[in-house]
Amino acid sequence: MTALRGDLTMTWALMRRGVNELLRVPAAGIPGILAPTIFMVGLTAVFGSLTLLPGFTTDDYITFILPVGFLQGAGFTGAATGVNLARDIELGWFDRLLASPAPRGVLLAGTVLSASLRTVLPFSLLMIVGLSLGAEFPGVDGLLLALAIAAVFAAVAASYAVTLALKFRTQAAAPLMQAGVFMAVLFTSAYAPEPLLTGWLKDVAAVNPVTLILDAVRQGFVGGVTWSDTWPGLLALAGLAAVVVALAMRGLSRTSD
Amino acid sequence: MAAIEIRGLERRFSGGVVAVAGIDLEVAEGEIYAFLGPNGAGKTTTVRMLTTLLRPTGGHAIVAGHDVVREAADVRRSIGVALQEAALDPLMTGRELMHLQATLHGIPRNDGVRRSTALLNRVGLTQAADRRIGTYSGGMRRRLDLATALVHDPNVLFLDEPTTGLDPVSRRAIWEEVRKLNDEGTTVFLTTQYLEEADQLADRVGIIDDGRMAAEGTPALLKAQVGRPRLELTLVTGVNSEHTRAVEVLARFGEPLPSKNGMLMVSLERGASDIALVVRALDEAGLGVETLNLVQPSLDDVFVEKTGRHLEGADKQPAAETGVGAEQ
Amino acid sequence: MRGRLVWNLRVVAALGRRSVMQAFRRPQFLAPIIVFPSLFLAVNTGGAGRAVDLPQFPQVHGFLDFQLAGAMLQSTMLAGVSGAIALAMDIEIGFVDRLIAAPIARSSFVLGRLVATGMLGMIAGIWFIAVGLVFGAHIAGGVMGALVVIAMVALNALAWGTVGAALALKSGRASVAQGVFPLVFVILFLSSAFFPRGLLLEPAQTIADWNPMSLIAEGLRDPIISGLSFGSTMKGLGGIAIVAAIGTALSMWGLRARLRAG
Repeated sequence: MTALRGDLTMTWALMRRGVNELLRVPAAGIPGILAPTIFMVGLTAVFGSLTLLPGFTTDDYITFILPVGFLQGAGFTGAATGVNLARDIELGWFDRLLASPAPRGVLLAGTVLSASLRTVLPFSLLMIVGLSLGAEFPGVDGLLLALAIAAVFAAVAASYAVTLALKFRTQAAAPLMQAGVFMAVLFTSAYAPEPLLTGWLKDVAAVNPVTLILDAVRQGFVGGVTWSDTWPGLLALAGLAAVVVALAMRGLSRTSD
Repeated sequence: MAAIEIRGLERRFSGGVVAVAGIDLEVAEGEIYAFLGPNGAGKTTTVRMLTTLLRPTGGHAIVAGHDVVREAADVRRSIGVALQEAALDPLMTGRELMHLQATLHGIPRNDGVRRSTALLNRVGLTQAADRRIGTYSGGMRRRLDLATALVHDPNVLFLDEPTTGLDPVSRRAIWEEVRKLNDEGTTVFLTTQYLEEADQLADRVGIIDDGRMAAEGTPALLKAQVGRPRLELTLVTGVNSEHTRAVEVLARFGEPLPSKNGMLMVSLERGASDIALVVRALDEAGLGVETLNLVQPSLDDVFVEKTGRHLEGADKQPAAETGVGAEQ
Repeated sequence: MRGRLVWNLRVVAALGRRSVMQAFRRPQFLAPIIVFPSLFLAVNTGGAGRAVDLPQFPQVHGFLDFQLAGAMLQSTMLAGVSGAIALAMDIEIGFVDRLIAAPIARSSFVLGRLVATGMLGMIAGIWFIAVGLVFGAHIAGGVMGALVVIAMVALNALAWGTVGAALALKSGRASVAQGVFPLVFVILFLSSAFFPRGLLLEPAQTIADWNPMSLIAEGLRDPIISGLSFGSTMKGLGGIAIVAAIGTALSMWGLRARLRAG
């Protein structure tokens, strides 16, 4: 029991460190918030007229794309966690953590869960921007669901980025982390409902698990929140999480090779 | 003709900071001149003005026969520059950088390749020449920087803190190279914060502090002007009464200096030749000497005399020590 | 006199070669120019492709044909910012000092990098035309149209290169240049780069009507979707000239300020 308590304490300490970084250097958080916001607002301005197409599920493009913003914000926050880890590795600070008695699982949990905490910031700001641009309020259940999924997605993205950081051990891997997240979130029903996608994107979105996650987050914004729309997204999230966490743990155990 | 001639050179920065407050100096052709001073004294600012990277706000400077402001392009043709930050591109290989530098000086391609190869060989970088500079050690970077400064056979070479941060072996390698270049006729103007470097390399030393010249001359002359050798000794027994008697004895030979950690010190009025007399006098007084050390005046003593302060970090550097009975 | 000209050209070529080599040796520099715009192109085409069904959408062979111009425009603007980061890094590590202390013309520092950015722009133009053709796009203006587009892309890269140089010279810091990336997207979203002007939502539509990037985008797009048109090409070149003029003026100001400050 005390071992578990110890683990939890360490995890919490690592999480707090991740959040502290953001509080100490708030400017570092700006790219993570700015990019999804610009993207969301920009895409609405440019492609907003798509709602005129028959078969489009809402009348406001901003309502449709706000959930994409949430996932992007969570994704970039996760990617930033990976970049920070790469920097810690370059500076040698990570070696200090590895040499401590903290179990590898705790190191990973503390690092990626800090992304979950930090994602509250872009989430809130995007929500405010979205609402002020006329997005429909998703209802309390929709909002909480979206926040919960975004937080877990941030951890998933962070695990992916951490795996890359451990493999390449340099901040030069940052574009790879960001591109991965970018593709994961956008190769989905991000721009338009699935039936209205064209060409290769239609095929990819059909098999991309993030499409299910996005549809789950979209509940409340587009239509109501129902269990039948929620559980596929949760399943996809759990599946992705299992894969990336396994990869990250393997990467961690390999650091002593 | 003087290789470098400076009159009233001044550099004022916005905000009122005066980095260089009016200096005069001359460097003869074929000389090695060392500009010695602590961090922030104005050494780098002076070098940047002499190498046309910075405009003086007062006074003038003539380098290799050309005014640094009005004939800047002519100055650039005649000087080689190796700056403190070793402005190297980590993504290029050593050879690529040499070729680029040759092109910058208008050296025709074949000639440039030939000179680059020869210089890389000279500084011992032939094997590393095709590796990226990002993989070089500090010593290798300095050597490459030196090589790039020489590609166009300059008359005057400017080195800004050439061995700062290097290990002793790399440091000596650079010194060797500088001496060889000087033997071949290149005038060298170097800045340094290391006493030993100025002492070992320079024909003449200029001491700069707070933007002004504090002293100038050959190392030997400067030291002779200022210091008398200092004798440091400890007694066999640390009994206080014996201490007081010892100090009385020592006072006959010069001014006793405040003791440090039980070590007695006296500045020898008549120089090192008095050592034997000191030992005999102590012996006659029944005082046994455990350790005895003769410390020659250093450039730091010169610095302290002229400015009232130690050269930064000088007290951490081993002074030029000699044992008992050493030659002058 | 002729000897001097040859020397200057050699220096500009050597510095240009170095800048191009930098882009290929540091993937973070190349990624924004090719990888990211290509991804965006792919997603835009697949995601918004049905827009061609909208009544107000202009006649096109395919949505991809419409999107190519935006991708090229994005690529060249990002190339300008990438160049800014590289030049700022040169300033930060003191490499520019090496150039200042050498007996070369002061303008060579900037010209060398501009040549490189122009080349990268040309490569981007060729890349996107090729990608477009591979994925079924149709160049209405034929071979001539393609050449005109590639030439305009290269010129646009040069123009944005001057803007990037100004940014680097004035700030001297890579982090500042890096911070400009989002601005590129804002400027592009507020133009007709990715969608017809008439279908943009307000207030973006009004801004796009005044944004020179719209002129450039349409100048790049028309040879692909409808064929060569003198008016459209001239307007595109006009937009590029505006950017180039602002960029050049700011660069010269920045260069002078930097040389003075030492």
